[in-house]
Amino acid sequence: MRKILVVGAGQSGLQIALGLQSQGYEVTLMSNRTADEIRTGRVMSTQCMFHTALQHERDLQLNFWESQAPKIEGLGVSVAAPGSWAEGPAARAIDWLGRLDGYAQSIDQRVKMAGWMETFAQRGGQLVIHGAAVGDLDYFSRTYDLVLVAAGKGELVQMFARDPERSPYSEPQRALAVSYVHGLGPRPEHPDTEGVRCNLVPGVGELFVMPCLTTSGRADILFWEGIPGGPLDVFNGVKDPAEHLSLTLELMERYVPWEYARATKVELTDAGGTLAGRYAPTVRNPIGRLPGGGLVLGVADVVVANDPITGQGSNSASKCAAAYLSSIVERGDKPFDEEWMRATFDRYWATAQHVTKWTNAMLAPPPEHILNLIGAAGELQPVADRFANGFNDPADFENFFYDPEKTQAYLVEVSGAGAA
Amino acid sequence: MSSTPKQHLPVRGGDRKPARVRPYSLTGGRTRFGHVLLVETFVASTAALDAPEERRELTNGSLSTRVMPELRAIVELCRRMRTVAEIAALLKMPLGVVRVLLSDLADQGKIRVYGTGTGHGTGRPDRALLERVLSGLRRL
Amino acid sequence: MHAWETDRTRAPIATKIVVAGGFGVGKTTLVTAVSEITPLQTEALMTEASEATDDLTATPGKTTTTVAMDFGRLTLDDDLVLYLFGTPGQQRFWFMWDDIVRGAIGAVVLADTRRLKDCFPVLDYFESSGLPYVVAVNHFDGSELFEPEDVREALTIPKHIPVMIMDARRRISVIETLLALVGHALDETPE
Repeated sequence: MRKILVVGAGQSGLQIALGLQSQGYEVTLMSNRTADEIRTGRVMSTQCMFHTALQHERDLQLNFWESQAPKIEGLGVSVAAPGSWAEGPAARAIDWLGRLDGYAQSIDQRVKMAGWMETFAQRGGQLVIHGAAVGDLDYFSRTYDLVLVAAGKGELVQMFARDPERSPYSEPQRALAVSYVHGLGPRPEHPDTEGVRCNLVPGVGELFVMPCLTTSGRADILFWEGIPGGPLDVFNGVKDPAEHLSLTLELMERYVPWEYARATKVELTDAGGTLAGRYAPTVRNPIGRLPGGGLVLGVADVVVANDPITGQGSNSASKCAAAYLSSIVERGDKPFDEEWMRATFDRYWATAQHVTKWTNAMLAPPPEHILNLIGAAGELQPVADRFANGFNDPADFENFFYDPEKTQAYLVEVSGAGAA
Repeated sequence: MSSTPKQHLPVRGGDRKPARVRPYSLTGGRTRFGHVLLVETFVASTAALDAPEERRELTNGSLSTRVMPELRAIVELCRRMRTVAEIAALLKMPLGVVRVLLSDLADQGKIRVYGTGTGHGTGRPDRALLERVLSGLRRL
Repeated sequence: MHAWETDRTRAPIATKIVVAGGFGVGKTTLVTAVSEITPLQTEALMTEASEATDDLTATPGKTTTTVAMDFGRLTLDDDLVLYLFGTPGQQRFWFMWDDIVRGAIGAVVLADTRRLKDCFPVLDYFESSGLPYVVAVNHFDGSELFEPEDVREALTIPKHIPVMIMDARRRISVIETLLALVGHALDETPE
């Protein structure tokens, strides 16, 4: 059977490795950490996955934690009234909850990746613990039928040239600060609905709150996205997790007091429950050429890294893995050459481009028609629902989001239907 | 903050029927889990010191046919007790390549992975070992 | 040749110490001073980022560079071998350290008072990884001799961590440094 090397044991790398393994491919998986190191290490993401991405996992029977993880039925948006925080805590100008057609779930990647990695090894997969360098890959590109690079951070990424046409930003657009906590209360307006809460603070940043399953059971994630240089960009160099959490809470009290109100009793899930950083959203050339001439194919965030503001990272990873998996299997015994690599990436890009377009749009200050749309969702439930379900299928935003005329037409259509 | 995991917090939806398979709880401990080849992990060939059939056997398997000279070189070196880093240095091969080939050879039974003998896998050395290292260094 | 090298039926216990520091600070010299074998080198071909990056950042620019890791060996007993791994200190090599640090006794952070800044990233790394470490100032001939406490203050090293002035060329001085590290690691290991 064909031999495939997967470098990187995250969502995309493991999903591909396990998928290929179940089809009889000879798969070698390279991870820079052991399963135990991942499980006891630091959190990596907020990884809220929506229906389509979860379905790809179910198709491969990898949804091991589905019954244990909170089922997220709604996605809410609250907007702080601009400037309302100048004299005391901010007030809400917009506040609504859209219903998701299929539920979403967030399973701490420490739980999932460690469990998947052990599953891969138990099923007879070859797992090599090694932080790959370019020199290793040079060799492997000759001895494997295909080398996939699914390690989104670190030096391997440098092999893939940035695509300036598809990368409008060259600097990080947000400073990220994540805390996993126990003890968060429900939002009083919807005490029985698990939801992702997007709190937008114009000109300052965003706070996302969502339930998850972590190594110590059910928890919630508090995730600040701060505009660089602004009042939320204060986590750089904070090493003490307790200090990280107290900063998070202080900022919540000032800018999103309605979220702070349910967070007064929270505690970090564990010492590894915080994460801070920033990166520039970047689309890269998917094919890496090694010094020795061999080719490798980049996967998911190695080649398309979007800002987490739309929570698409793990969704994109799952969708990319599913697309690549199909392309590999359909290729049969034919060579995985440059042309095939290009076509394989293009197949993924057909959906990924919508994610990139939408995410980059959300990073910019919203134009008036989008403010109107988000505002109207408070009055028109179908608008709220459609916006929420856009997180599952961002291609739908083409139809009502970017173009002011389409937005207007959609709002007229919905309000007309509501009046009729 | 508290670093104590809250094992006993009620889990919302926790009264639902549990999944038939719970890989996390199944594999929470150590299971059959490959070989973690640290740079200082010892490996040695399993073959008798002069086994003429060894070379023929090495040609089994698709990877083996493609990298036979390298596999052969590793098995030759491993006629003596070697560490992973030593093999990479002596054969001037990237560490990652050596790790993959060693793990192939171990799967085929051609070499034996001895671990580091500390019994702690990837964790920190224990006090007894540190004491031994201290006295060893003092004797130098 | 030690007996354990030819006995393939049982492996000795292998343990290791990491030696980290900036380029030219004397890592190879230190390893050579105590190793019973000619120090070996493994090389990793890497792409070199054009500027310093943190772990979430991906910067453009790609040249390849070769990074060498030295290692030496000391047989401490019939069945006990200590390896020394010298590895470069720049932040972009942290992925190599993650690999070498796994299972290690601890690290000697080698510093040169003329280029003290070179060891800042190394100290950051070991502070955050929790691996026991000592700071060894390699005193070069002709450079000003500082007191350990001055170096401690400049590097903001906590009191319980040993800081010593040493000479990486002298075997006895290196062994004293290793003893300080192992002693410190023992203090840090619960009974």
